[in-house]
Amino acid sequence: MIDVTGLDFFYGQQQALHGVDLPVARGQITALIGPSGCGKSTLLRSLNRIYMLYHAQRAQGRILFEGENILAPATDLAALRARIGMVFQRPTPFPMSIHDNIAFGVQLQRRVSRREMDEIVENALIRAALWDEVKDKLHSSGLALSGGQQQRLCVARGIAVQPEVLLLDEPASALDPLSTAKLETALVDLKHSFTIVIVTHNLQQAARISDYTGFMLGGRMVEFGHSTDVFVKPETQALRDYVTGRYG
Amino acid sequence: MIPPKRPRDPALLRRRRLANGVFVALALLATGIALLALLLILGTLVSKGLGGMSADVVLLDQPGPGESGGLRNALVGSAMMCGLGMVLAVVVGVLAGTWLAEYGDGKRLASFVRFLNDVLLSAPSILMGLFVYEAVVRPLHGFSAGAGALALGFLATPVVTRTTEDMLRLQPHALREAGMALGAGKGHVVRSIIWRASRSGLVTGALLGLARISGETAPLLFTSPGNPFLSFRIDQSMASLPTLMFQYALSAYDDWQALAWAGALLIAAAVLAANIIGRVLTRGSFHK
Repeated sequence: MIDVTGLDFFYGQQQALHGVDLPVARGQITALIGPSGCGKSTLLRSLNRIYMLYHAQRAQGRILFEGENILAPATDLAALRARIGMVFQRPTPFPMSIHDNIAFGVQLQRRVSRREMDEIVENALIRAALWDEVKDKLHSSGLALSGGQQQRLCVARGIAVQPEVLLLDEPASALDPLSTAKLETALVDLKHSFTIVIVTHNLQQAARISDYTGFMLGGRMVEFGHSTDVFVKPETQALRDYVTGRYG
Repeated sequence: MIPPKRPRDPALLRRRRLANGVFVALALLATGIALLALLLILGTLVSKGLGGMSADVVLLDQPGPGESGGLRNALVGSAMMCGLGMVLAVVVGVLAGTWLAEYGDGKRLASFVRFLNDVLLSAPSILMGLFVYEAVVRPLHGFSAGAGALALGFLATPVVTRTTEDMLRLQPHALREAGMALGAGKGHVVRSIIWRASRSGLVTGALLGLARISGETAPLLFTSPGNPFLSFRIDQSMASLPTLMFQYALSAYDDWQALAWAGALLIAAAVLAANIIGRVLTRGSFHK
């Protein structure tokens, strides 16, 4: 579905990715693991070109999404990001009601009647495993939710636009174990409708939920394959060290 | 291995306690001096201001020598000129501050604008009056409330610009990224998310600007020095509280001086009221 080949990424003069390849399979969860600073978030942020917000950052190489190179200058970024959604490390609820948080992205794409919007909101919240906790306070502020609820609100907001791909940048790193479990359950259910790429520091999490795993080190893709293979019989010493906790 | 326990130096501990006590005492003293000065100013203002206060203050226009009168024309003039000035300052200031915070990064023009804004922020207010005098009053051959409002607006604009930029920069990058990641354009994200998240900060900026100009005399001396009658025409000079206070406070008449005090109290009360209203309005349900 997405095919990254030979991706170089630069923060100003500093090169953060060196010729990275990554195939992303449709309807599967692909996990990116590796020590801090290895470039996994950078790779993820290239996939919807969110790095474009910062003028000193640039990417070179090729990222094919449904056969088109999204790194081409002519790419319509708003349209691209409507098809490739993203959830961030820290919850980022907008300063508006729970309902409006979800409606925000939908309204960017098309005009929706009030009744249809209510359905979309309910549906997104159910799929993000948040509906039962917020159904009585849809019109109170999204900022009043707990961190775990805010993060699931962000997931609901992301899927309400019906993207084809969902990018998750360490979505559980700021959450407690119970919230993490709820989030993971929601993600596994979601992979039937979305292709998911997740960056995580949590190896158990990657092993639990992902179908494919890529291990990165120093801005390079060191190992990539089925998660079962990657975790059970790692090919490189670096990954063996990382998995057994001797690295990073 | 646990290192062996070493005896603590009791003299050192005593010295640290002493130093701590001295600094706490100095801090308390400084706070006390500042509070005392504030209380003295407010006390004088209230006691003298209340003396000149009566229903006539808001019902009658400024008196001539030996007549009875009030401050109605000056109240109306101040409210109109400050109001118009703030409209200008908020529109220009919020847009300029937004450009600096959201679009100016890495642009040389932005550093230049920011530098100029800081210069304007500390420019003497009489310069604004002189500038508007040369730019507007002289070409149009006459003082006018419009020119006064312009001078006051120029004075408040840098305050609003600066506060707006600072407040928008406080918003986390992740919030902008989250909006853009949904496919929203930058302008849409700024207007519907970032402005909203910074709402109380933006109101604070406007209130700071209002507080800055509401007591200003100097910019009005060259633009709208006064008018003994009630006027609503912005193409003519209007009275204002600060200029009238200036005139009356320097006069030899007791009743004029009492009116000047009443005017001072009214300005202070108006700024306080504006602050309270601003706080209440921004204490919306979408803020923690």
